[in-house]
Amino acid sequence: MIRASAAILLALAAMTANAEEEFKFDASEFDKKPYEFNGYLEQKFETLKLRGDSSAYRLAFPGEPAQDWLQRSTSTLELSGKANYQSLAADVRAQASYQGDDLVHTTNYGQVMEGGLRWSVGPELSFDIGKRVQRWGKGYAWSPVGLVERPKDPSDPTASREGFVMASGEWTRSFSGPVSSINFTGMVVPTNDNLNNDFGREEDLNPAAKLYLLAFDTDIDLMWRGKGAKPEAFGIDFSRNLTPALEVHGEWARTLDAPRNTVSASGLTSSGQINFNSWLLGLRYLTKSEVTWVAEYYRNGAGYSANQLDDYYAFLDRALAPGASPALSSKARTVAQSGYGKANPGTDYLYLKASVSEPFDWVYGAASVTAMTNLKDGSWQLQPEVSYTGFANWELRSRVIFFGGQPNAEFPTKSSSMRVEAYARYFF
Amino acid sequence: MKKLIALSLAAVALFASALSQSAIDGVAILQKVDRNLEPESYEMYRKLINIEPDGTKKEFVLFSVKKGKDNVAALFLSPASDKGRSTLRQGDNMWLYVPSVGKPMRITSQQSITGGVFSNADILRIDYTEEYTVTSAEDQGDTYLLKLKAKTAEVAYDQLKMVVDKKTVLPLEIEAFASSGMLIKTLRFKDIKDFGGGIKRPATVETDSPLYKGYKSVMLYSGLKKRVVSDEVFTQGYMSRLEELRK
Repeated sequence: MIRASAAILLALAAMTANAEEEFKFDASEFDKKPYEFNGYLEQKFETLKLRGDSSAYRLAFPGEPAQDWLQRSTSTLELSGKANYQSLAADVRAQASYQGDDLVHTTNYGQVMEGGLRWSVGPELSFDIGKRVQRWGKGYAWSPVGLVERPKDPSDPTASREGFVMASGEWTRSFSGPVSSINFTGMVVPTNDNLNNDFGREEDLNPAAKLYLLAFDTDIDLMWRGKGAKPEAFGIDFSRNLTPALEVHGEWARTLDAPRNTVSASGLTSSGQINFNSWLLGLRYLTKSEVTWVAEYYRNGAGYSANQLDDYYAFLDRALAPGASPALSSKARTVAQSGYGKANPGTDYLYLKASVSEPFDWVYGAASVTAMTNLKDGSWQLQPEVSYTGFANWELRSRVIFFGGQPNAEFPTKSSSMRVEAYARYFF
Repeated sequence: MKKLIALSLAAVALFASALSQSAIDGVAILQKVDRNLEPESYEMYRKLINIEPDGTKKEFVLFSVKKGKDNVAALFLSPASDKGRSTLRQGDNMWLYVPSVGKPMRITSQQSITGGVFSNADILRIDYTEEYTVTSAEDQGDTYLLKLKAKTAEVAYDQLKMVVDKKTVLPLEIEAFASSGMLIKTLRFKDIKDFGGGIKRPATVETDSPLYKGYKSVMLYSGLKKRVVSDEVFTQGYMSRLEELRK
């Protein structure tokens, strides 16, 4: 009995000793290295319920017979590397992917998402050259003031995006007083036939600048993009916590002499130039039950009215109908790649998201429901989602996207009526 | 006469005792606690360990810098899924920068970017004297009991009960309460370690919460030293460059 008790005590002592050992931490294990590599491997599966008889389907999958379901698998490898030498840092982030479904297979052997060289003169001044991602604006789903970036996908606003090649300088100063910091970023985004084609093909330097202020506990940005491959534009945004649980934000941008194409139901196209204002007003509110609500109203000044979108959908139906002339079908594809093909081509949208971290004591889990509606035609998108980050270096996420509304409205004229997505991402 | 002297001595002793009780300067003790825990401006490394009821652990490693009364920034070094994330606090303003999102977003002190028991306020903690007023201080023999009340509604915990070791003037235990009076979490300070440069403080802080039954979180400190960095480090523009501060 005594021996047994002693053995138990010894075992307990050993366990305690182990437990103490587990809690040791030496910062030298995390000393800065002259270079480092990391990345992730992602496997995504999608199931799409297609509208096989729709013009959007014929536009997305030209020449393919109608079908109701599509299974898609996408494998993505992202690698990042960074080398530090004194005040210089060189970095690169590149992706390779393979996407396959019954209709299309796409292989991307390596695409540089961003990368370049940074010279940090000090915390207050740095210079950068290379492919960089600029994310301007305070909006969650949309960013009308995102003047030098690729458009955000409102269905997945935090998704990684590719940058543009640019040279930039950033200057920061802190103060004591109501204006506690100022940051100025100036840049050029050169374009020609071989550089930044997605920004524009005209040979131009495309200057742009942003001035940030933290004034009276409010984030304020003033932005400007000079006339070049894209029209001149300027804007302002703000974000402020009114209470610890309530944040409000807004953006306003004005674009001058922007080209705009319209199409009639019969296929007559017209081009013109317009000045337009786009703006956004939003809030984020954390309830006592720890549900975070995000609400945003977006006014898209370059958007098309409900009547103009009706004409566009009628034209697509005609141009892409079985037996339509190849010239008309080709024209439909050209028109679709203009402003009509944007993620949200209408004028007025409302976005609402309710999310909760660790619901029902599900530690490291998160759940959310997102709704987005085109206020002019009443069509909508609904997106429940769950994610889990409890396994070290794994991120698991699954969501369903439903599109609904009256026929010939924005969301029901997409090529699918429902999409189920699940992915597992392993970071290393 | 002897009786009178004895009575007078007893009265003086009682008065002295009462005087010593009322003479406890809670604010001075709290200020001393703040400075004993960390210099006003510092850099340090921390490992946060969330332990689930089945023993499963999730670990985060952060590099942090603080300057002055209310400027703190922290950079996630590990795990790989969180590497490069950074958080910034300027007084009541807090932001989170996620590399894939690419821009800072405002967050609140009550939320948790790591999940589990630690809140953002725990990760970006500033001096207790900045956020709390001392409502009472009691002498409990070897310890003091300080009762603290949040100065504003922005502070994550409305009230704190802090047990302070008289000898080291370091906290032994802190209970954090919501404005409703509900206990949110208990922090236990352990393993006093000499970090050098005159800094001797607990290297381990264990936390549990009745809101997370069976879960426990541990914060381990290493590499804590006095360091004064530029004010511009505590700005949104620098959040993506915090790594540059590491040597």
